[in-house]
Amino acid sequence: MKRRFLSTLALVLGLMAAIGPAAIAADLTDVGFIDQSALGNLPAFVSANQQLAAYKAQLNGQFAAAMRGARTDADKQRISLQFQQEFSDKQNELVGPLYQRTQLAIANVSTSKKLSVVVDKRIVIYGGQDITGDVINAVRGSQAMASPQASPAPSSIGFVDQSALANSTDVKNASDQLQKFQAAQQPIYAARYKNATNEVSKQQVMADYNKAIQDEQSKLLKPLVDQTKTATATVARSKNLLLVVDRADVVFGGTDITQDVQNALNK
Amino acid sequence: MSKMHSINRLYLPKLKLCHLKSRGFARACVILAAAVLCGCSHVDVHSDKVRGVAYVRVDDVIKHHPLYPQLEQLNNAIASINFEASLPHAPLTPAQIAAQTKDLNAQLHDAEVAAVKAAGIDPAAAGLGQAMNTTSQAQAQAAAAAAQQNYAEYQRGVIAQDNAAMQSIAQQLSKAADDKLRARAEQYQQNESDLSLKLAQEDSSQRMALRTQLSTLALTADQRKSVSDQLGALDKKEADQVNALRAADAQALLAYRKQLGEQTSAQIRAQQTSIQAQTGAKLSQRRDAVGAQLRGLGAAPVATASLPPDVRRRLGQIHQEYAAKFQADAQQAVEEYQATKSDLDAQFAALHGQGVTATGAAAKQLRDLQKRQNDLQMQIQNQIQREAVRLAKEMGFSVVFDNVQAAPGGYDLTNDLIHDIESQHE
Repeated sequence: MKRRFLSTLALVLGLMAAIGPAAIAADLTDVGFIDQSALGNLPAFVSANQQLAAYKAQLNGQFAAAMRGARTDADKQRISLQFQQEFSDKQNELVGPLYQRTQLAIANVSTSKKLSVVVDKRIVIYGGQDITGDVINAVRGSQAMASPQASPAPSSIGFVDQSALANSTDVKNASDQLQKFQAAQQPIYAARYKNATNEVSKQQVMADYNKAIQDEQSKLLKPLVDQTKTATATVARSKNLLLVVDRADVVFGGTDITQDVQNALNK
Repeated sequence: MSKMHSINRLYLPKLKLCHLKSRGFARACVILAAAVLCGCSHVDVHSDKVRGVAYVRVDDVIKHHPLYPQLEQLNNAIASINFEASLPHAPLTPAQIAAQTKDLNAQLHDAEVAAVKAAGIDPAAAGLGQAMNTTSQAQAQAAAAAAQQNYAEYQRGVIAQDNAAMQSIAQQLSKAADDKLRARAEQYQQNESDLSLKLAQEDSSQRMALRTQLSTLALTADQRKSVSDQLGALDKKEADQVNALRAADAQALLAYRKQLGEQTSAQIRAQQTSIQAQTGAKLSQRRDAVGAQLRGLGAAPVATASLPPDVRRRLGQIHQEYAAKFQADAQQAVEEYQATKSDLDAQFAALHGQGVTATGAAAKQLRDLQKRQNDLQMQIQNQIQREAVRLAKEMGFSVVFDNVQAAPGGYDLTNDLIHDIESQHE
């Protein structure tokens, strides 16, 4: 009986050893999420945004008056820059401190919960730790907030700045070409649309127009998108990341691989 | 869920067999546990590569939802309206702008009349008793105040619209004058170029001969000067003729500019007078119409002293019901008026070349379609979300993402979800 038990135990241990680290790999539990729209609805933010909107309305009037007095293009450009700066200064004055406090609150809550990454609620379908309530409480509190002692732990979730990648010359050229194509196609299909005698033929013209644009988009942009995806996946694999999300969806932590992807694309 | 079922299907018979053979029960259990640990299902949720993480390409799942064809139809209909609104329209003539402005003003007038009527009192209800008379008077005063306010708004609106129409007409007339002047200037320039070319061609043989002489080394200094002077005189003769024509053209162009300016100013003044007359007529017509309506609201007071108590009670009830209905009707009328006015404002803007959004019936249709599209999209997404959560729980994932840019690891739950959604609607 004892020998049988020992042989069974040996079999189990053997199996465990065979399957190795795959079965004992720890699931990812250090992912948090936050509902940013709930933060935006905090009275302090609402009030700051209202003040900013009122300031902008007032500034718009002054801007229009100043532009009327501008004599040259250089004058107009100078005035535009001046008003943009004024608005930006006011924005920093009104929203800046709140934004900084919120960032500190998110960092502190994330550190205390040992989260390596916090993303926006929109991209989490299931699971993750919701830290919205904790962050709101911290922001609402009256005490001063210190920076967290430690930086976030390395995360298995990476992020890439899509807007930075979209600024590449290739992507810009392709987008410009697509816009030109669209502008050239519109009058052609507009004429066909006007000549269409009933709703069915109008719908057909619309479908043809959409298909023409989509085909051109596939021709111009899809190769670039595929190239970027491949580069992102390759970099992510080399850094042992599980997934890569867009930077716009990451609130705190995560592993930034934007520069590596840009380097890979430029090779 | 389908994977759990497949696991069960695979191992339950073994389990039953092992029950029958009690001596091998422990071993069977161990094998089963090891098999589960090994992740013999094709998803090893806890493997190093997955680590309990999954992701869904929600956009792809939406395309497999049974309601997607309806969503696509709505999207196409919305795109169709937007496309039609963005089409270039032939520029309108001042007369067309004036006619359409008049039509829109008439629509605005109708909307305001409807609002005043809806906020007024039913004359048939008047004369029932003192309470009703009091209400009637209060409501007549309210209606008068509202009508006065509406009239003031209308006045401001009409003046603003007519100013905008006038500005648009003036811009078009000025542009037409500029175009004419530019065409004339180009014609003059062409004439000057033609003359210059003609003179150069006429003198070409003489110029060639002089230049040939100049290139001869054997010329004395005096001879060379003489030839150079002749060449200079030739150039001067041509330049003088061209300059004379240019000066004449400049004078003619100046005169033409003056003439065009006078014509344009006269046309603008004529249009201005016409539009001002129309504005005045519209305002007095509106004043008369509102005045007539208000005069119709008043009702002859009825003596109430001799009314029996039960009639008074009944009158009180009627008064309360009537007041409530009045409030509701007035609110509805104001909302309808605001919606109509907002749409007419958009049409005014479009008429004067501002904005490219759909207006009128198309705008209403667009709003309806967008609402239906939002509702349907939400319905589809909510169902996908529910099913994704259910699948994630059943399969043992710890977190599921959407909108992933790249996935060297994790598990792609998209196909399972598509299968699940499709099977639910088979």
